[in-house]
Amino acid sequence: MSDRNAGAELSLAEALRALPLAAPPRDVWQTLAAELAPQVRRPARRRFAVPAAIAAGVLAIAALLLTQTRERPAPQIATVAPASASSVANGTNAANGTSVRNVAAPDPEAQLTALESRSQQLERWLSETRAAAAPLPGQDLAAAAEIEDLIGLVDVELAAAPRKDAMPLWRYRVNLLEDLTALRYSNYRLAETLTTASNGAPPDRIN
Amino acid sequence: MTTSFFELELPQELIDRAKAGELGAFERIYRRFERPVYTLALRVLHDAEGAREVLHDAMLKVFQRIGQYRSDAPFWAWLRQIALNEALMRLRRERKLDDDADVEYIADEGAPPWVRADALALERALGELPALTRSVLWFYHVEGYSHPEIAEMLGKTVSFSKSQVARGTARLRVLLEVVPDVDTPDGPHRPAGAQHERPSSSNSESMSCLIETPALS
Repeated sequence: MSDRNAGAELSLAEALRALPLAAPPRDVWQTLAAELAPQVRRPARRRFAVPAAIAAGVLAIAALLLTQTRERPAPQIATVAPASASSVANGTNAANGTSVRNVAAPDPEAQLTALESRSQQLERWLSETRAAAAPLPGQDLAAAAEIEDLIGLVDVELAAAPRKDAMPLWRYRVNLLEDLTALRYSNYRLAETLTTASNGAPPDRIN
Repeated sequence: MTTSFFELELPQELIDRAKAGELGAFERIYRRFERPVYTLALRVLHDAEGAREVLHDAMLKVFQRIGQYRSDAPFWAWLRQIALNEALMRLRRERKLDDDADVEYIADEGAPPWVRADALALERALGELPALTRSVLWFYHVEGYSHPEIAEMLGKTVSFSKSQVARGTARLRVLLEVVPDVDTPDGPHRPAGAQHERPSSSNSESMSCLIETPALS
């Protein structure tokens, strides 16, 4: 009988191997990508963090020199925004003096709420100072654009993620916003200083 | 010579890019190995959701540890080991490694029924084996592990691995020779031959709907 002959030749191993490969019911990559993004993007963050820190330092010195040459009361926004931006850039929660990055609260929901609040605080500052900030130089502009793109990607992931899986995404979002704040803060300070100087300085001193 | 589903060659350049942290390279690796990892986990656990979690956890580990990978072994073998460990860890957590794997041994006679059984019937019969027996069968017949390797992975003896293969094979033979009639569940049994009927259990249906043809990629 042909069946029996075929049967003698076909081993169980062959029969098992002939079973089709199975595919997961839902795409696992989306979840994985969201979890991996903070890890694989670290080199990029470091790449921009160093030049940003150097640029911030140079600008701070320039700003200091300019303000010393022209003592004048700072506008309202100048007394508020830099203070919050400074705390923002240091990763310090202005309200309670704790670092969001290092929150060790045992309650995940509380951590999540803190991260959301932090995120809102940073966004608010970025929004309020956007108009007043000086145009970003080329390299910083590219860095800012990349960070904004990443924030957009995180937002897409956040929209799809259940709340219990949202913690790493929110943490990543806050980190990105802090990077963006560090970039914008330098330019904001420069713009603020130049504006202050130009209000009373002769044109030749501004240029 | 058995060829594992995992035996997929990857360009070294792709592995290097993944090591450098390039997410796009990670995704390409993931897409290549998604089905082999998921299938392995599904065979071990016989649980679609558990297999999905194993796929997730195993791939996360692969990406987190890819910097530790050295090219002295094939990448697929390294990745398979991680996937296998994840699946076995889950089995252990669920205490299914201690399941009663004492399957009755029946001497093989005549043509093996898997010759004429279709994939669905074989899938279902596999699902009815104890988790440990099913895993040993799969590791031995499909992934090509030797009995000493299986024994080491499971913390059992070589003779245990051998007996599981023999008993699992015999049990499969019985399961495939006799299937319940779906129209009359308590009615006469008949061979799972060419006129195979779809299984009535929801579990089997949920498993079969996950089976797809291999990816074109």
